[in-house]
Amino acid sequence: MGSLRKNLQRNPAIKFCASLKITLTCLILLFILTFWGTIDQVYNGLYLAQQRFFNSFVFIFAGFIPFPGAQLVLWVFFINLVCVAIVRLVYKWSRIGLIVTHFGLLLFFVAAFVTLHGVEESHLTLMEGEAANVSSAYHDWEIAVWKESGSEKDVTAYDVEGLRPGRRLEFQEGLTLAVDHCYSNSEAYSGAEGAGTVLGASGIQTLKQAAPNKEPEKDLPGCILAVEGAGPVILYGAEDKPLKVSMDGRDHFLQLRRKNFPLPFLLRLKDFTVEWYPNTEVARSYKSLVEIIPPGGAGASREVLISMNKPLRYKNFTLYQSSYSVDNLGRESSTLAVVKNAGRLLPYFASFITFGGLALHFLLMAIRAKLKH
Amino acid sequence: MSRKITVLIYLLLLSCSHALAQPICPLDSSIKLKSAVSLDKFAALAVLNDGRIKPVDTYARTLLLQLSGKTSFGRQSAVEWLARLLFAPATTFEDKVFLINNPEIATALGVEPESRRRYSFSQLEPGVAKLEELARMAEKIESKERSVVEQEVLRVYQNAFLYDLHTRVFHFALPSAEFQITDQEIIKALDLPETQKIFSFYDLASRADRLQEQTKSLELGKPDSWPARDKELVLLMNNLLRWSMLYKDLPFSVIPGRDASTRGWLSPMDAISREFSDPHAREEIGYARGMVVHYWNGEQMPFDLAVRSLSNSVLNRVDAATQKNIRKIPLELFYNKANFFLWAKLFYALAFAVFLLSFFRTWPFLRQSALLLIAAGLIPHVGALVLRIVIMGRPPVSNLYETFIFVSMIGVIAGVIIELVNKRWVGNVVASVCGLVFLLIAGKFAAEGDTLQMLAAVLNSNFWLGTHVLTITIGYAGCCVAGLIGHLYILQRIRDPKDKAALESTYRNMIGALGFGLMMTFLGTTLGGIWADQSWGRFWGWDPKENGALLIVLWCAIIFHAKVGRLIGPLGVAVASVLGVIVVMWAWFGVNLLNIGLHSYGFTSGIATGLLAYVIGEVVFLGLCVPLARKRD
Repeated sequence: MGSLRKNLQRNPAIKFCASLKITLTCLILLFILTFWGTIDQVYNGLYLAQQRFFNSFVFIFAGFIPFPGAQLVLWVFFINLVCVAIVRLVYKWSRIGLIVTHFGLLLFFVAAFVTLHGVEESHLTLMEGEAANVSSAYHDWEIAVWKESGSEKDVTAYDVEGLRPGRRLEFQEGLTLAVDHCYSNSEAYSGAEGAGTVLGASGIQTLKQAAPNKEPEKDLPGCILAVEGAGPVILYGAEDKPLKVSMDGRDHFLQLRRKNFPLPFLLRLKDFTVEWYPNTEVARSYKSLVEIIPPGGAGASREVLISMNKPLRYKNFTLYQSSYSVDNLGRESSTLAVVKNAGRLLPYFASFITFGGLALHFLLMAIRAKLKH
Repeated sequence: MSRKITVLIYLLLLSCSHALAQPICPLDSSIKLKSAVSLDKFAALAVLNDGRIKPVDTYARTLLLQLSGKTSFGRQSAVEWLARLLFAPATTFEDKVFLINNPEIATALGVEPESRRRYSFSQLEPGVAKLEELARMAEKIESKERSVVEQEVLRVYQNAFLYDLHTRVFHFALPSAEFQITDQEIIKALDLPETQKIFSFYDLASRADRLQEQTKSLELGKPDSWPARDKELVLLMNNLLRWSMLYKDLPFSVIPGRDASTRGWLSPMDAISREFSDPHAREEIGYARGMVVHYWNGEQMPFDLAVRSLSNSVLNRVDAATQKNIRKIPLELFYNKANFFLWAKLFYALAFAVFLLSFFRTWPFLRQSALLLIAAGLIPHVGALVLRIVIMGRPPVSNLYETFIFVSMIGVIAGVIIELVNKRWVGNVVASVCGLVFLLIAGKFAAEGDTLQMLAAVLNSNFWLGTHVLTITIGYAGCCVAGLIGHLYILQRIRDPKDKAALESTYRNMIGALGFGLMMTFLGTTLGGIWADQSWGRFWGWDPKENGALLIVLWCAIIFHAKVGRLIGPLGVAVASVLGVIVVMWAWFGVNLLNIGLHSYGFTSGIATGLLAYVIGEVVFLGLCVPLARKRD
């Protein structure tokens, strides 16, 4: 073990990667990005700032100057930290605090990777008495297709993200769509421009690309597609009803909708309550009383009270009280945020390990200083 | 909060042209205010305001603070002034209680600007129409886009409206010309004192059934043909109705509604309109009226009796949780009266003065006396915090004001520990400066109103307030202490660069404080992440406040790594620690200036200038002292 470490320590590539200067550069770059990304939120909103500064590898500013994004910096930092752990950290009991701290930080990187790639965030809005077993995405959309067959429908869907003109989407029973245009945010018009007689479900004839909103939840995508054998169609995000396409005597239904995520249970909102501080308009608490009904009668249903700071946990799913609204008729609906995250506990472990290391190091240093003086 | 204000302003604009045009207090000239009564009992009366039960004393202080920026009116206490405003409003018309910071506004209202920036209602009244016009214009502008003057116009307008509302609270108990009865028969039928002609709304409302009885015999016909008695009866009924429409949604909620948990409490006049059928409420309204009458007559004992009867009746019919809150009122009165922070500031200032004295005199025990003074300051400081915890039943840090008080206390404790260990004045300086400066800043925030506030739903968790918020603020304190020691280190290098032992000791203290700051900020940040994961479903979301905390952690990590790599020496660490305080200020309240994100609370317009002045001050300090320190080496 010792000789392997010595060999690795002599490896110039690893030695370079473990350099303290790289550590410092990464820390300083992260400092700049964090500050810059905070200020940018004032002008561009959280989502766009996050995409530009934190989720990117490189971004351009002032028109042409490239700057490393946080994702690139964190990858470099991770490699740096791994190399430091291999060749630079001094594995002595007296350094135990620092060792634990740095391994805790490595776990943070793993947690960040898992969260970035493995989390599904969606939401579910229910009126009192309503039930659902799917939640919908905040800003991811899909093209869903089904055919009428009684009360049950078999839905096939394609993600809208990444759809390029010319792409062919094949659905069941020979229905094929060719993508003409897909806009992530668009405006719809009823008047036709040019010679098209394309129609959406609600009479839309033209789509125009629009600039993305500060809050991506407000973006309404639109797609112009060609149905093979039936001609062009328009799907628009704001349409409630699906577009009916008849082919070979069968009706197919097409809809552009927020991406749906199936839940492993049926959730019914039994009651929603807001408590106010008396004589004020300040809410003291929001609570949703829900009933969880397992699929196919597997196990008994149970009631759970979801409130601020008290989410519902079910396997990898966590449901949070997110917001609520009251419609014109005074009916209350509750919105629950649904998060599916297999690595939810990783940052918890990483936090406590890193803090434990810091505390240990601080304590050892204090004791040493006391003994010395 | 901003929504609440918008709604309020909207309501104001709807109703105000009509409301302010009304005579403020139709006091009958025949009654004279007798000598003042003692208001100790009145100050302890429970009132529901801003979502919590508080004593009238706190209510009065908050109101007066909001209007005038001070918690007393000349030599009069806030509660004495409030009593005049409520019971004898006309006596406050000449009181200069309206703070208008901007002389332009005073000029626009046709008032000669006053050097003390405070104006009386009589001065403002002729310009009310203009004020209303200006407020309407300011209201149309997005709140973020409003200029300082526009914000000030809205504030003054709101305050004028609030003042006006308070003048109406007890109108119901005062005789009014609108309830004048000339017909002795009516007086007799209503069982009113026959020697009197002018009565109050309350006198007639409490005899509404008899009045109705009298009006049954009225015959329809042309009003001109009505006999004088009928005319008078109709006029009385009409005025009763008009008053109950005009005087509603008044402040000073001292009477619990029947379903107090959801409907809140009511002012006596609103209670007459809505709860008069309830015998308890009726009784309590009677006590409230008694307070006015006895106040006017200068009758101490009956006044106290009325207050006590009202308190007692309320206490007996509210739920257990409210009872518990009402029972805490004496504690809050003590807290208000003791002025703990003033004492703490005084002792810290004295300790610092002793430190300055040590440059000129080498008397023995100077250092120990400074430490004792700091300990003396710490007693009221900690005491006040404990009282706040008991009164609110939650951890002591939930708004910006409280963070300053808490960070100040941690700084003082850290200073005391350093002084006990090192015995070289550094700890004394840290403790006295942290104590004094942060408490002075806290005083600025206290000027915004009641500092004991209710919590928004997401914050309403004692566990997370007690862990995340406390640890992160302890982290702020650690970094601030490190920055303060950084200043001292640089100054020591200039003053006596040869005293290596002293320099080494200060340096070690600085590194210790910085390490402690890093550790606690890290813990606070990640606990915040865990809280966010528990309540919003994500550990990290790049929210400005989260980023601010991350900046502190990164800054400390940069310092330690640069130190390990020998890229910076002790002087460099000192400079970085000094700059670290700016990073802390940014995370602590600088990001609140951006007014975005999930933590946007405690926005104060003065912060930006203060922060900028601080940054410039530090840059100048470093620019002057660092080259000098280098030269002295």
